[in-house]
Amino acid sequence: MIKIFDISKYYNPKFPVLDNVSLHIRPGEFVSIVGQSGTGKTTLVKILTGEERVDSGKVIVGEWDITKLSRNQIPYLRRQIGVIFQDFKLLPKKTLSENIAFALQVCSQSPAKIKKIVPSVLSIVGLEDKGHRYPNEVSGGEQQRAAIARSLVHQPKILLADEPTGNLDSINANEIIELLQKINNFGTTVVLVTHNREIVNRLRKRVITMDEGRIISDQEQGKYIIR
Amino acid sequence: MFLFLFRILKLSFQDIFRNIWLSIVTVTILILALFSINSLITVQVISQNAIEAVKEKIDINLYLTNTASEEQILSLKSQLEELEQVKNVNYISKQEALLSFREKNEKNPEIIQALRELGKNPLSPTLVIMPSSSEQAPELINILRGYQSNIIESRDFTDNSIILEKINNITDKVNQVGMVIIIVFVVTSLIVVYNSIRVAIYTHRREINIMRLVGASGSFIYMPFIVSAIIYSIFSMGVIVAAFYPFLSLLQPYLEVFFVGYNIDIIGYFFSNFWQIFGLELLLVILVNVLASLVAVRRYAKI
Repeated sequence: MIKIFDISKYYNPKFPVLDNVSLHIRPGEFVSIVGQSGTGKTTLVKILTGEERVDSGKVIVGEWDITKLSRNQIPYLRRQIGVIFQDFKLLPKKTLSENIAFALQVCSQSPAKIKKIVPSVLSIVGLEDKGHRYPNEVSGGEQQRAAIARSLVHQPKILLADEPTGNLDSINANEIIELLQKINNFGTTVVLVTHNREIVNRLRKRVITMDEGRIISDQEQGKYIIR
Repeated sequence: MFLFLFRILKLSFQDIFRNIWLSIVTVTILILALFSINSLITVQVISQNAIEAVKEKIDINLYLTNTASEEQILSLKSQLEELEQVKNVNYISKQEALLSFREKNEKNPEIIQALRELGKNPLSPTLVIMPSSSEQAPELINILRGYQSNIIESRDFTDNSIILEKINNITDKVNQVGMVIIIVFVVTSLIVVYNSIRVAIYTHRREINIMRLVGASGSFIYMPFIVSAIIYSIFSMGVIVAAFYPFLSLLQPYLEVFFVGYNIDIIGYFFSNFWQIFGLELLLVILVNVLASLVAVRRYAKI
């Protein structure tokens, strides 16, 4: 599903953010990428969504060699990948339903299709009765659920979750992880970027540990390694 | 496609209304730029009319002796008409001159009384010569100065070349100043439109970020800003068209008084050249604004 071959990325020529990183994530896997702040986890997510370009190496997502993608092709890549963030990235002046619908509108989906998809994704994340509420009228966990619902509108094969529990208390954080597992069970590849040790250890899934732009450990049913 | 356009338009109007004061400033600057351009066109039309009016006033009069026979006068007239510098020659007989003189002075009883007391027609027959062009007038005057004929009593050369030169100089100066004003306004408009789009992008940064995130195409992200620039242009042009005709209506009576006897119709000029003036201006202002917003979008709305 995701094949990364010897990629490097520099913001400063002397210090690579990613230094010859290679990894392979199979379809349907649930992978946690862990490491302290500044180890290159978020840069890796940005590269996978086409937001950043690698300086060397090759990245294949599904059937796309994203290192060779033109600017015009990037939106089509992004429709294959759902992304959620720590800060939810919801529009405060739109209801949860409108936030989800917006993602479909900007991709030129018809009103009929939007009317069909929005309730179904809201129901997947358990917000079927809260779609009419504004983000400030629901909890952080519910906002993140809405963000997940929005990321599912294009039925992505991959879901990238960049610190999705960073702004949540432990109860809400656990609920979000459970939701991600549920989505993974439907066959979606989930890449969870986090530094929440407790969650990673409880998941007992594949764990890739990064440090100073390199992969220092890659374990099936792994644990969070503290260096 | 219709849905795409509808959504783009909706987002554009959102941009405009969310930053309403900035939109007002942008439109005001555009209106001022367009007003300065149209004012310069008006000045051009007026000065062109003034030049034509003065050119028409160039006439050269040859006053003939009272004893000159009709035959001699017509022979001199046809000789003069053969000159290439001459457009036409108008013969005013003694009687016609007297009639015209009486008409001109009918409100002046003293002059009419003096004429009556004189008992005879004191006016001479006249040949009024019109040069082919104002440029050829000095040459024609030179020729006529040396022209020998025993029936010519006196010669009157009204040389308007100095007035023409003055009008040309004033027009050139007005054009130069006008061009500077236009350049200042066009550059200001460019900067203002560029910054308006920049602020609109800043206001919409969350939406843009989310649009990118969920895979909106580049055109869907930047088109609303380009459409906003087009809306600014169309609105400004609409205001100018609506405001400029009343302005011209106010100007027209003054021009009619100033150019008395000449047919100067500034409103008619703008009506008959509506598309050449306003259509072209609209195209230009759209082009300039779209360019400015494209630069702003490429720079600030990283797609």
